[in-house]
Amino acid sequence: MYDLIILGSGPAGLTAAIYASRAGPDFAVIEKEYLGTGQIAFAERVDNFPGFYGIDGYTLGDKLREHAEALGTEFIEGEVTALSKNGSAWEITLADGSSLEAKAVIYALGASPRKLGIKGESDYLGRGVSYCALCDGAFFAGKTVAVVGGGDTALSDALYLSKTSEKVYLIHRRAEFRANKTLADKVRASENIELVLNAVPTEITGGENVESIAITQDGASRELAVSGVFAAVGTLPNTALVKGIAELDETGYIKACEDGATSAKGLFAAGDVRTKNVRQVITAAADGANAVISAGKYLNR
Amino acid sequence: MPAKITAAEFGSEVLGSEIPVLADFYSDSCIPCKRMSPILSQLESEYEGKLKIVKINTNFEKELTEKYGVLAAPTLILFKNGEEVSRIRGAAKKDELIGLINSN
Repeated sequence: MYDLIILGSGPAGLTAAIYASRAGPDFAVIEKEYLGTGQIAFAERVDNFPGFYGIDGYTLGDKLREHAEALGTEFIEGEVTALSKNGSAWEITLADGSSLEAKAVIYALGASPRKLGIKGESDYLGRGVSYCALCDGAFFAGKTVAVVGGGDTALSDALYLSKTSEKVYLIHRRAEFRANKTLADKVRASENIELVLNAVPTEITGGENVESIAITQDGASRELAVSGVFAAVGTLPNTALVKGIAELDETGYIKACEDGATSAKGLFAAGDVRTKNVRQVITAAADGANAVISAGKYLNR
Repeated sequence: MPAKITAAEFGSEVLGSEIPVLADFYSDSCIPCKRMSPILSQLESEYEGKLKIVKINTNFEKELTEKYGVLAAPTLILFKNGEEVSRIRGAAKKDELIGLINSN
């Protein structure tokens, strides 16, 4: 049995690994993706992590990982499918059916892109539906696409796609964007981005690939002919595994303060899964450090 | 590391191959594609002589990308005797790839 198992290898999990290596417990990190570093890998540029101005997210993630590796961190590849407590031990089950035991767990599984939750979305995944404009945008060069969302990611995606696509519909449920003003001004000034505001997508249809997206706008329904639909409607915390184990708030975040302690003894939350005001690399890293200190106190109690 | 091939080599390297070929349609700006790289390298040595793995850059090989209707990066297509037998759209875990290879 391990003293501590850290679930997740994003900035929170990797920082926890760095602190745990130095604190001394017998521990391991479970990573869902081989050599993965979480959502930060997808950030084009990170300008607010101290000491690394202008670094791309992929490189920053790798640096965090190399740091944890240099201190001797053991990584175990596997997707966590269940978490339970037997007496004082936590049991962690992985997708391949194997399981691990630990006296304490740091839960740092991050967040995933929120789905639109409409008909056709999953059927057309990889056939025109995408959650990554940077990955798939080039396949829609010269074509018409839709971006759904009103935050920084949605507007950045719309601008990125507008460079190569014929036309970009930006579908947003409100009249105003949540995105920063610079981005919003750029989007409004773009000649081939058409704003579709106060509109909600209802269905994605097509043949082999996406051909259109249906929307409801001001009470009326219509269809927009598009070859691609890029969803950027925020993220959801990956907290399904702790439902019924630890207390969550109404939006699904694990209730925990700076020390990471949850309502379940021996379970500590770190990073985007936790209730907090700012979800950035810097706060994820801070959470990882705090959670290890709290786990240490718990183990030595 | 799997070799990068161009459209000109596609006929001989993929369609004309005597052993099955896993073609990785990838792009440099795609993070999931980067994550796949070490996995594909491992599979290449584990399946040496039984499976060939090639990489096709979708930004440079637009005709091939369009011909095979690739709309997601990465897209992994398994070819056998010059025919597509299966494909995975988006990043895949090593186990999924092994499943794809072994079931065909």
